[in-house]
Amino acid sequence: MSLILSADEQALRDSVRRFVADRSPLPAVRELIAAGKPYDPAVWKQLTAQLGVAGLSIPEEYGGAGAGHAAMAVALQELGAGLVPSPLLASAVLAAGALLRLDDEAARQDLLPGIAGGELVATLAITGTGDGPDGRVRATGTGAQATLTGGLAPVLSGAQADVLLVPADAGDGIGVYLVDAAAPGLTKTALTTADPTRALARIGLQDTPARLLAGDGAGALSAAADLANLALAAEQCGGMAACLAMTTEYAKLRVAFGQPIGAFQGVKHRLADMETAWELAQATLRAAARSADEDPASFSTDASVARVMVSVPYFTAAADTIHLHGGIGFTWEHDAHLYYKNALSGKVLLGGPGDQLDRLAATLAGQPALAAQPATGAGARRA
Amino acid sequence: MTSQETGTRTVEEFRARARAWLAENAPRRSGDGDSEDVGSSAGLDAQRAFQARLYDAGFVGITWPAEYGGQGLTNAEQIAFSEEARHYSLPVGAFIIGLGMPGPTILECGSEEQKKRYLPPMLRGEEIWCQLFSEPGAGSDVASLQASAVRDGDTWVLNGQKVWTSGAQYSEYGAVLARTDPTQPKHRGISMFIVDMRAPGVTVRPLRVATGSAPFNEVFFDNVRLGPDALIGAENKGWEAAVVMLRNERVAIGTLTASRGSPLGSESLTELAGRLGRLDDPAVRRRLAELHARERAVALFARLLREEAMSGRMPGARGSVAKLAGAELGAFAAEVAADVLGDAIAGYDGTAHRGTADYGPELRAVVTAIVAVPGGAIAGGTNEIQRNIIGERVLGLAKDPGVDRATPFNQLRVGTQKRQGAS
Repeated sequence: MSLILSADEQALRDSVRRFVADRSPLPAVRELIAAGKPYDPAVWKQLTAQLGVAGLSIPEEYGGAGAGHAAMAVALQELGAGLVPSPLLASAVLAAGALLRLDDEAARQDLLPGIAGGELVATLAITGTGDGPDGRVRATGTGAQATLTGGLAPVLSGAQADVLLVPADAGDGIGVYLVDAAAPGLTKTALTTADPTRALARIGLQDTPARLLAGDGAGALSAAADLANLALAAEQCGGMAACLAMTTEYAKLRVAFGQPIGAFQGVKHRLADMETAWELAQATLRAAARSADEDPASFSTDASVARVMVSVPYFTAAADTIHLHGGIGFTWEHDAHLYYKNALSGKVLLGGPGDQLDRLAATLAGQPALAAQPATGAGARRA
Repeated sequence: MTSQETGTRTVEEFRARARAWLAENAPRRSGDGDSEDVGSSAGLDAQRAFQARLYDAGFVGITWPAEYGGQGLTNAEQIAFSEEARHYSLPVGAFIIGLGMPGPTILECGSEEQKKRYLPPMLRGEEIWCQLFSEPGAGSDVASLQASAVRDGDTWVLNGQKVWTSGAQYSEYGAVLARTDPTQPKHRGISMFIVDMRAPGVTVRPLRVATGSAPFNEVFFDNVRLGPDALIGAENKGWEAAVVMLRNERVAIGTLTASRGSPLGSESLTELAGRLGRLDDPAVRRRLAELHARERAVALFARLLREEAMSGRMPGARGSVAKLAGAELGAFAAEVAADVLGDAIAGYDGTAHRGTADYGPELRAVVTAIVAVPGGAIAGGTNEIQRNIIGERVLGLAKDPGVDRATPFNQLRVGTQKRQGAS
């Protein structure tokens, strides 16, 4: 198990990087934001149909490329570096990951080929680390005749999804239910987001017809939580690399007091800290990506470590990017604030720093993640 | 089969041989992590004997040329051996400095005669080396050193004081930096010499540090005569040789991964916290989990550097990233230990703080380790010097203005030297 990218992974990285530069440069992302669009369907179509990005970690028998989670992490890192808005995380990582961990062959055959090809957008309606006790959605009835009632927010790509996988409590434990976005009683409201490149929604369910998916719901949510950590760590590592590159370049060009500002230790040392944080983040990301494919027993811990070592340092790096650029870095026209908002949102989504440390502590102690949560009832964490 | 595949096979064969030899001959890590008396005179004979056996088995000087006693193999074999050896506590502490710093520097900058004379006994553990750079007035700015070597015919006369010298009390030889031309700017008037540590005029005194132990020395040179063959590299080109040596030092320090049994490691702190009843506090569990994450990150980065070196990309200045990250991890671990164990480390005795068992020795080890932490941010180049190196040589930022670079040394104000005319 090597931490160095393989030749195939380097080729994938280069092609996604070229794609981002050609098809979704930041000025184009800004146009989308100004138009209030969650993502560019043309870019999504090329990303999925031409590059096959949505099928990277879906097995070939379900229409994917079967390239594994490490390959997906490589793609996510480049997309994260370019802040490319897309439903990739919600659909191809979370929903696909949960389907693969559940044991519902019919649902896999129905949904995965569409997800892999990008024609179908799915999401897994989880919040927090996703595997804690819940109770916000209640299920009544069984099997294909179930109905769901409750509400969830923020749900990734919730307003764009064609189908939703919704965890719900039927009174005897958590199950994952398949819901059509057009089903009666379902409402989806786009949320106002801190990060304009990350679409989130509030999902409401009122006696909404749903089908219980066969398999271990709690196990699927736990697996999805680990995949979420890996995927967010990958995206954020990309964002951090972009911040580091942008700020280093500026420190070489910008002159003050007769010197390029990078000569001054007040600037140089902060950049050295950013470089150090990035190297550590990158090393943990690579380890997590490898164990996702090759060492399942270590994956949960490795993914948590990566998330912890990326999410908070990325936010620091993005804040330093604004600061080290000075006034120009605080303007609307400069890209620094886009990264700052992306880092802010990514830090708290799907389990913020405290939740991640609780989950990691429980895993290290050999306990199931649920045991890490305070035993004060389902509603306590939202209060 | 490609040549790369052949290489991989050879490395794996070498690794298997190393694994078998170590299992047969080397003591396992005990986990008490006390390295204070490594190389103490009591253990020296045993260390020399072990080093000789390690050498005879072909595991010393793995990457050094065979003509100077090395094995003539590649970094891949060296890394394979280091990975296998991590599970053992090899009694070779006295040789780490010589083989890690003066050795490679002589290999790169020394004369043919010096390589033939000094490298083989260094490898076999017959001659121990130390490194003499820092001075009381020259730490981060080591190029402002004031020790002097004055030419006398084809010899030199060495005077001055060095400090922070590990192993000086038992070393046969040292690599010393001294000023040979004070009329040149500071970097251009320094030479590197081999000094016989048993020569008349060399005085070694133990230097006691904050923890109370004395792992370093002060060394005084009083009219010490250096022979015609003592100069390493060219006269007044000692700074170039020093840069080679300091680069080796940083890589060596930065890629040392803390042994599992370190008292400030997350594993032993978690264990101790559990026995002291502190794991019921969710804030304590979070702190320990974060320490685990940071430890793992530093270890993984060191592994990434090793893997890159094995595939031909040498760490270069990124060794400074490892050094800085390691020092910051130590500081964080000290913070966590103090948080987690609370007032149990402020005052403890043989009857323990809260329980019935005797935690005294463990708490003592934690306190000693916390007291040792600030040294990690200074030794081998301070965190600030590492940040300069990372900024300038990894990121390519403009160099520090360096107002003293062009001024002749004898016109500079340096270290703790008094300004002429000042009282």
